Parts: sequence; C-alpha cells; structure tokens
Amino acid sequence: MKNKRLAIVLDTRRCIDCKACTVACKAENRVPLGRNNYRNWVDEEALRGAYPNLGQSFTPSQCQHCANPPCAHVCPTHATEVNPDGIVHVVDKKCIGCKYCQTACPYNARYYNEEIGAVDKCTFCAHRVYEGRLPACVETCPTKVRVFGDINDPNSEVSRLLAKYPSRVLKPAQGTKPHLFYLI
Amino acid sequence: MLAILKHRPSSRLWFSLLGIGMIVGAIGVVNVLLKGHGHVYNVSREIPWGILISTYVFLVVSSTGLCLISSLGHVFGIEKFEFFGKRAILLAILTLLCGFGTIAMELNHPLRMALYAVISPNFTSAIWWMGTLYGLYLVLLCGEFYFLMKGMHKGAFTMGMLGFIAAVSAHSNLGAVFGLLEARPYWYGPFLPLYFILSALVSGGAIISLLVYFHHKESGELMPQRYGEFMDTLGRLQALFLMILIFFVIWKIIPGLYGRPPEKYEATMAVLFGPLAFNFWFFEVLIGMLIPVTLLLNRRTRTPLGVMYAGLLSTFGIFFMRYDLVVAGQLVSMREGAADLVGGLLHYAPSLTEVAIVVGAISLCLFLYTLAEHLLPLREEEH
Repeated sequence: MKNKRLAIVLDTRRCIDCKACTVACKAENRVPLGRNNYRNWVDEEALRGAYPNLGQSFTPSQCQHCANPPCAHVCPTHATEVNPDGIVHVVDKKCIGCKYCQTACPYNARYYNEEIGAVDKCTFCAHRVYEGRLPACVETCPTKVRVFGDINDPNSEVSRLLAKYPSRVLKPAQGTKPHLFYLI
Repeated sequence: MLAILKHRPSSRLWFSLLGIGMIVGAIGVVNVLLKGHGHVYNVSREIPWGILISTYVFLVVSSTGLCLISSLGHVFGIEKFEFFGKRAILLAILTLLCGFGTIAMELNHPLRMALYAVISPNFTSAIWWMGTLYGLYLVLLCGEFYFLMKGMHKGAFTMGMLGFIAAVSAHSNLGAVFGLLEARPYWYGPFLPLYFILSALVSGGAIISLLVYFHHKESGELMPQRYGEFMDTLGRLQALFLMILIFFVIWKIIPGLYGRPPEKYEATMAVLFGPLAFNFWFFEVLIGMLIPVTLLLNRRTRTPLGVMYAGLLSTFGIFFMRYDLVVAGQLVSMREGAADLVGGLLHYAPSLTEVAIVVGAISLCLFLYTLAEHLLPLREEEH
C-alpha cells in the first residue's frame, strides 16, 4: 500500500444513528461485549428547534488515523505503529497496558481489550482493506455516510468528494492531522 | 522478628496494623490476578488512570523528596542534615520500590514492559524515560546506601551527587508524563515538571520530620539538643517549601479560570467546586498546607512535636493532591455527546480492590522500613 494515504470522508447529514457501523465493526473485529468496548461510535448532537419542529445531527466517528498521532509518540514500546499508507494500529504483543495512548488520544478512540490483552482500536479493517475489500463500517452503512479510499489518488471517490465539497476535521487545534474528513 | 515484637507493646500494635494492611493488599492483588483488571478496577475507557497511578506518583515523589532533602547533608555539606542520611536513603529506596509495585499492578503486562522497553524502546515516550530514569535512580540510591553503610564518604558523595541529578531528571520527567499530553489541557504545559520537583521537596521534608521524630520517640530517650535544633531548622525550611507550594497551587488555578480556557476551565472548576472540591479544600488546602504552615510559622508550635504534626498533615494532604491532579486531568470528556456524564463530567471513584492495593503498598513500605530499622545498623555517625 505504498504511496497511498487511506482516509474516510463522512457525510454526516446522511447519518440516521442506526449504529449499524458500530455493530458491524464489533462483529467483524471480535470486539468483546461490554459498555466500554467499541472501536467506532455515533455521537449525538443536541436537539435543535422546538416541538414538533425538531432536528438532530449525529457524528459517527472512530480512530482518526492521524498523520501526527500522539498515541504513537507516547507509547513506550512502539506498540502503536503507523503503516506507510497511514493506518495506525497496535502490535498486541508489545502493548504493556500502561494506557498512556488512551490518555494521549484527543478522540477517545482507544479502549483496553481484556480478551487480547492489549489496547485496541479501529484499524480501518486493515485485514479486509489489504484484500481489496472495504472496512466493515463503510460496507454496512445503509445511507452511505462513509466513503473510504486513497486521498493520494486524485480519481478516487474520497478525493473527488474533498475537491467538490468543503470539509472539516475534529479538533484541528490539536495538530494531530486527522484523516477522517467530515463534509460540511 | 520475634525479638522485635517482644521489644515494646507499641511495636506489636504497629506491626499488627501493618500486617493487616499487607493482608488487605494481598487480597487485592490476588483478586485482580484472578478476575482481571476490567472486573475489579474502576478505571475506564475515558478515565484510564486512577488511584494506583496517583499512589505511584505519591510514593515516587516521596522517594525523590527524601533523596533531595538528604542530599542537603551528605552532598551539599549542610552538617545538620547529615545524621539521618542512611534512613532517608533507605526509605527513598523502599518508597520507590513500593511505587513500582503499585504501578505494576496498574500495568496489564509489567513483564512485557521489561522486555519491550529494552528491545523496542520509543525515545519520544515520557513513560519510557520514566522507567529508564527511575531505574537508574534506583541503582544510584542503592549505591549511595551501600557507601553510607560502609562509611565510605567519598563514594557516598559521588553517588549522592549522581543520585541528586537522577532524582531531579526522573521526577521532572514524571511531571512531563502528564505535561506533554496536549489532549489534556489541565495537565499540558511546562508547569507540572517544575511543580513536581517543588512538591517533592515538601514531601521529603514532611517525611523526614516523621522519620526523625519517631526514630527518636522509639528510642525512649529524651530528645538530644541536636535533634531539637534540627527539627527547628527543618520546620523553618518546610514552612518556606509550603509557602512556595501555595504559590504554585495559586498559579495552577488562575490560568485555569482566566478567560475560561476550554477543558482546562472545566477541570479546574471540578477541583474548586465540583466532585474534587472536598478533597481540594479540606485535604489539600487545609490539612496539607494551611494548618502545617501555621504550625511551622508560629515559633511556639515549631517544637519537634509540632513539626512532626505538620509533616504528618502535609503527607496526608499531598496524597490527595496527587489523586486530585491525576483524576482532574481526565474528568473532561474527550468527546461531545459521550454517555455517562454527570454534570458535564466523567466520573471516577476507586474500587475496593484499588484501595486495598494502595493500603497494601503503603503498609508494605512502612513494614520494610520498620524491619530495616530493627535489623540494620542505621545509627548515625558522630560528626
């Protein structure tokens, strides 16, 4: 996956908060049961308007696969690695469970997985992606909120969306350079 | 051991208390080994660092403080501070080891750490430096203790000097473990490395006042003049350290309120008026700083007994100071719309198992020290 820069572009206006992404991710990646355990999630924004004219937005999110990932800087044993294509992942056997990465991540994208004995998080479903398939959350989304692809390829759908529409990232002031882009 | 127990009824009571504390701790350890961290600790995805981390900080601050204050004697040549050198360094070793024990219970894989910290080190990680610098510091402390016991002054001086440098490096770096996290505005910045060193002096002074007082008390003799003079000097010094600490605490609060900086403001308010307010105002401010400083500034209460009480209260206060610092930095959620918020903040209270391990670690430390006090020739040399 050399010369690639993988990213997800999200159109949150399409999100209906069905949480199919969270469920698909849990099933695909064997995320253990338990309230604290998830790799991706849907945040609910505050209600807008007054009854009966109400509106609400949702922000699905996950590991931002930052270009400048604080989790990788702080990990004492290099358990967090960054692939050349930008996928940030944890090498289970190197994780000592200090949870420094959890305190360093401004997105709360990490949790401790007791079953594998390491900190766990979204990997963009690397095992699927390297077989040419889509991440489970992207494939399952019924309203096509998420588009996955290579932003170094100008002809990819993610590049076309980013060229066509304005977008934002979460917490830009942190300087983490996230690779989840939210269309505005 | 039996000889010690026969020694005095008070030491029988002391050893029984510590024995109960250690059993409680052992039950906690067994519980977590059998059931796993996730089932018996109250730390969570959002608040991954709890009372075990803050107790680790408390214990290693104590170690650093003991090393720094005892350096005044056998490194910087202030004669008044020389006589408790062995005791201070021994206790510095024990508090450090018990601190390591506490953090090992928080780490999910302490053994993996020993391997991968060596074969896969990450030099940009403050935790890697923390392990390395504290490891080095431990070796130097042991060397210093050895030379002190052998009465080899030159060796003790060299080790003491290196130990002093290692203590300052390791402990300011521990502040950096928190201070380098840009995601946590309450901790982020150069403040914590500086503050950690200063508060170590307060911790060290407080514990040394306890050491000197109780060591003497235990001997059952009248306090020699030299001890009395030392306690007076230590009391004055401790008053100065506490006033500088109060200055630091004030300057921790003001930037947290001024202009309401996002996340830092909410964490500061949690300390001042939120879930940590009682800990802050009662334990940190009143017990930890105001009462001790009042006792120490007043000439009539700056007696050996008064200095000891001030030290005891500061030590309690500082334990809560560590806890509040560690928890406050994590109370503000990293995500908007996160679940389980109480009054806009996340919630953490230590579990019984976490508390048991803390009780066990502190009891073990005191037990080992008392044992060493009976078994090793720690009696000071005459100067």
